[in-house]
Amino acid sequence: MKFSNAKTALSAIAFSLVLAAPTSAKALDWPQIEAQAKGQTVYFNAWGGGEAINAYIAWAAKEVQARYGVTVQHVKITDAAEVVKRVQTEMAAGRTTDGSVDLMWVNGENFRNLKSNGLLYGPWAEALPSWGLVDLKKPVRSDFSVPTEGFEAPWGTAQLTFIANKAVTPVPPRSAAELLTFAKANPGRVSYPKPPDFHGTTFLKQLLLNLTPAPALLQQPVTPQAFASATPALWAYLDQLHPSLWRAGIAFPASAAAMHRMLADGELKMSLTFNPNEAANLIASRQLPSSAYSFGWTQGTIGNVHFVAIPANARAKAGAQVFANFLLSAPAQAHKADTRVWGDGSVLDVSKLPPDLQALMRNKAPGALTESVPTLAEPHASWVEALETEWLKRYGAR
Amino acid sequence: MAHAERHPLGATLALALVGLVFVPLLPGLLWAMGPSLSASVWQALLTDPQFAQALLATLVSSLFGTLLACLMAAGLATRLYPSPAWQRLQQRLPLLLSVPHAAFAVGLFFLIAPSGWLARATGYFLSWASPPEWVTVQDPYGLSLALALAFKESWFLLWVLAGVLGEQAVARQMAVARSLGYSAAQTWRLVLWPQVAPRLGWPVAAAFAYSLSVVDMALILGPGNPPTLAVLTWHWLSDPDARLQTQGGAASMVLLALFSVSAALAYSGWRAWVQRRAYPTGQRLPAVQRPWPWQAPVLGVGYAALGALVVWSVAQSWFFPALWPDAVTWDNWRYADAAPFWTTLWLALAVSLLCLPVVLIWLEWGPKQLNAVLYAPLILPALPLVAAQYAVLLHLRLDASLLALVWSHLLWVLPYMLLTLVGAYRAFDARLMTSARALGCSQLQACLRVKWPLLLRPLLLAWAVGFAVSVAQYLPTLFAGGGRFATVTTEAVALSAGGSRQVLAVQALLQVLLPLAAFALAFSLVRLRSRNRQGLR
Repeated sequence: MKFSNAKTALSAIAFSLVLAAPTSAKALDWPQIEAQAKGQTVYFNAWGGGEAINAYIAWAAKEVQARYGVTVQHVKITDAAEVVKRVQTEMAAGRTTDGSVDLMWVNGENFRNLKSNGLLYGPWAEALPSWGLVDLKKPVRSDFSVPTEGFEAPWGTAQLTFIANKAVTPVPPRSAAELLTFAKANPGRVSYPKPPDFHGTTFLKQLLLNLTPAPALLQQPVTPQAFASATPALWAYLDQLHPSLWRAGIAFPASAAAMHRMLADGELKMSLTFNPNEAANLIASRQLPSSAYSFGWTQGTIGNVHFVAIPANARAKAGAQVFANFLLSAPAQAHKADTRVWGDGSVLDVSKLPPDLQALMRNKAPGALTESVPTLAEPHASWVEALETEWLKRYGAR
Repeated sequence: MAHAERHPLGATLALALVGLVFVPLLPGLLWAMGPSLSASVWQALLTDPQFAQALLATLVSSLFGTLLACLMAAGLATRLYPSPAWQRLQQRLPLLLSVPHAAFAVGLFFLIAPSGWLARATGYFLSWASPPEWVTVQDPYGLSLALALAFKESWFLLWVLAGVLGEQAVARQMAVARSLGYSAAQTWRLVLWPQVAPRLGWPVAAAFAYSLSVVDMALILGPGNPPTLAVLTWHWLSDPDARLQTQGGAASMVLLALFSVSAALAYSGWRAWVQRRAYPTGQRLPAVQRPWPWQAPVLGVGYAALGALVVWSVAQSWFFPALWPDAVTWDNWRYADAAPFWTTLWLALAVSLLCLPVVLIWLEWGPKQLNAVLYAPLILPALPLVAAQYAVLLHLRLDASLLALVWSHLLWVLPYMLLTLVGAYRAFDARLMTSARALGCSQLQACLRVKWPLLLRPLLLAWAVGFAVSVAQYLPTLFAGGGRFATVTTEAVALSAGGSRQVLAVQALLQVLLPLAAFALAFSLVRLRSRNRQGLR
């Protein structure tokens, strides 16, 4: 008995040596990864500000523990940029194998940052067994116009959605121009999260897509010329909008979640979210009145895909892949799409799934987005920093 | 030093134990701050559009907050000591002291925000349908943050005062002066303040340094556009962009400079006052009428904030303008995440119990001139120290471990415990030790049998303070813990930025309950031990 244990240990060491050797870039086959993952602890660094999301991650962690013997610890973070910093600092300090992050929830600017600095492990995502069910018509291979190349696995879809209260706002504004009129008619009751908050920056991009004379430029990496020709309309609009905003545009709410609370109390008349089902969740958990509803803009709103990625110095790479594969599997994606659970859009091709799971995904709860809103593509990831810097320069101080 | 010479072993042990906490910081500071020492970094910092206003908000909130805290504490002590009301006040302090900064900030937010209790109560009479456009929280100059800091720190200062005034010598002086015909107010001015004020120097400095670099409270109540300098520094230090990281390092040096300049000004102001103080004339002034009870608002704010937390924690849905929740439920408590509570409990226990013997060894055998070095973490902005700790842990590959977490807390828990204990320890009647030694006890035996048992009350209080300090740590828990360890404090701050207010109230109350339990335990142990000994109470 002892002997065979020692043998297993030896082969495990051999495996890890094979993995560690840079020459053996050829991926292991899936059963090997599953075997290696058994007993590993995966530190999953994911935004922890949503109860529904936290509960879903806890559920998924329990499932992979039961199915594959992988322990998942949800490290609740407030901003994925902090994790990028952590990985960067660890690698800079020479900690290239024993990192503290095994899997992280990421997209856009943070992914671009990680990928261009060689801080990601991969490619691995398209070798996952669950990859076969992924709907390739969705932008799952490009993250804010940056090709993913298998360095991150898609997890869910999102679309910018606005929330209002039927009792006080029966007819919501559905374009940048309507929003300006609405704000002027309701001074002090409209705002948006302060960029560089994720939702605040997305709102800026939404306005930009709606206002810019040159939308094609936004799909390319930003250049000073492109920025100068695409953005003046946005700043002119904000200069007009800000005096009518909450606190006259001098201060801004810290986050979308803070705006939900202000909407609930009537301090604001609008809030925004990236999850078309969030209003339904908030009504269910009594954080919004039952008269809250979701709506989009006539010309469409920004939609994107969010992903999970493995840092280059992750300790439990096999465990992280097993967990990512589970997150992408049909039962996990269907459970996630259920509005009673989280209501996050699936990245799978729904028609390939069994009928009972399809039904689960079509479930709609009161308050969720019911109208069909066209999806606008995210501007290239490099626009994020340029927009945030310019916004902070113009409005970041009184 | 005489002790240290006679007991090289004790002195070495004291230095070694304390060195484990402090010495690794030196290379850490070099790694963390070194890159910030360049002209271009400073130019970028000074021209940053957010810098000037962030600095202003920091100055207003910390100076105004500390000043107000001093005024409130000093005013209350002067009015009330000695009287039964002072005794009652003293008894009420532990509850308020055990309310961590973040929890108090959350409670105060629930009170004074435009959708808070105050606005709801006003709106109830004026039939408001939506919240008023008050700028009562997150105001651009950090006044609401200053107010919160003032109340919170005034309790801390009152508690320090209670310790000083509880000493036999002070009580006797008051009695003697009163029997000579001086009024209480006159005695305070002529006899007590000149002695008590210098002993408040370190605690006031600690309160000021805390308000300069506070991040958790500032996130909840402070301005957002731009935030205070401490929050901005924290954002920069944790930014992936290396340029902003060095800018964060430079900004934390600015915080340090702000502290040094303010402290130097305050100290020279004090010296000038002492030198120009008029010699007492011997004239007896009649006692003034006892005025309006000041303690009511100073303590009342704390109770109201706690009340708001309690009501929110059992609320079902509760939207403006409702004065009370629509329905009350235990579900928020039943489904609360208990993991942060247990993490906080074992962490605070481990840290405070580790620190207690270290503090005793240091006080008994350690070199006394070095106390100032130990206080450094209290009067330095926490941010550069946390960054230095993190740099060390990264180099040792210990970050995100249990050991790292406990070690990172020691840096703040140790000095707070020392600060709490040092007064009583130095005031201990040396003749008792001399007698014990004369009766054949070694110094250790004398300590174990005479000194430490007699100091049980301050010892247990110091332990409870250490426990409470550990519970309230935010930045070290985030950095050294690698974000892997969620405590009630990190949880409450994370939730304060958004999410369910009910869940937030539960976590904030758990944050209160832990230190409260520690103080309750300390007090009941003291009472149990001293039930037959009047002088020990």
